[in-house]
Amino acid sequence: MTRLKTLAACVAALAVSSPAFGQPGATGNAEVGSQKVQMCQGCHGIPGWRTAYPEVYRVPKIAGQHQAYLVKALQEYKSGARTHPSMRAIASSLSDSDMANIAAYYAQLGLRVAQ
Amino acid sequence: MRAWLLGVAAIAVLGANAACAADLEAAKKKVSEVCQACHGMDGNSQVPDYPKLAGQNQDYLAKALRDYKSGARKDPTMTGFAATLTPQDIDNLAAYFSSQPAVLQSRM
Repeated sequence: MTRLKTLAACVAALAVSSPAFGQPGATGNAEVGSQKVQMCQGCHGIPGWRTAYPEVYRVPKIAGQHQAYLVKALQEYKSGARTHPSMRAIASSLSDSDMANIAAYYAQLGLRVAQ
Repeated sequence: MRAWLLGVAAIAVLGANAACAADLEAAKKKVSEVCQACHGMDGNSQVPDYPKLAGQNQDYLAKALRDYKSGARKDPTMTGFAATLTPQDIDNLAAYFSSQPAVLQSRM
């Protein structure tokens, strides 16, 4: 009986905590996105980092950027509308919900740092 | 003779610097005419679909404008605007927006 109560408490806790993770998909889930940014950090996490190829310029700052714009940029890299080789390779591995989650993560990250 | 040559060289260098330097006042005028409707006068766009430009890296902004102008990057709105910009306009605008205070961070 105690075990059953514990189980019920766990189920209830799970049900309550789930909305805190937000909705996946279009709205994006920053928590989930934060698990996916390892491949972004090598360039976008280093202040003043420069691209090595195909043109030398500093990679854009993305923390605090609008979520909708970040999703659009990733979609354009995936479709080939934008052509940066590294970004094309990375974006082609992302699903729509990956993009929404990563964009949600970076959008809120800048706001959190700025406050 | 040597002093004279040095003087000429110094004037040439100073003149070249002045010619290359970004003109922020000219940029401000351009921004008020063209950019601000979407990106805001200070580059802190309030519209989710349009990127914040304030505080962005200067050379990235210049590259984006050059790419729109050349057609390497395509956007129905930006292609039209970038086509009208001279290389000096692009340098001015990139310097202007990168110098505006922003929430954009380069560290995660």
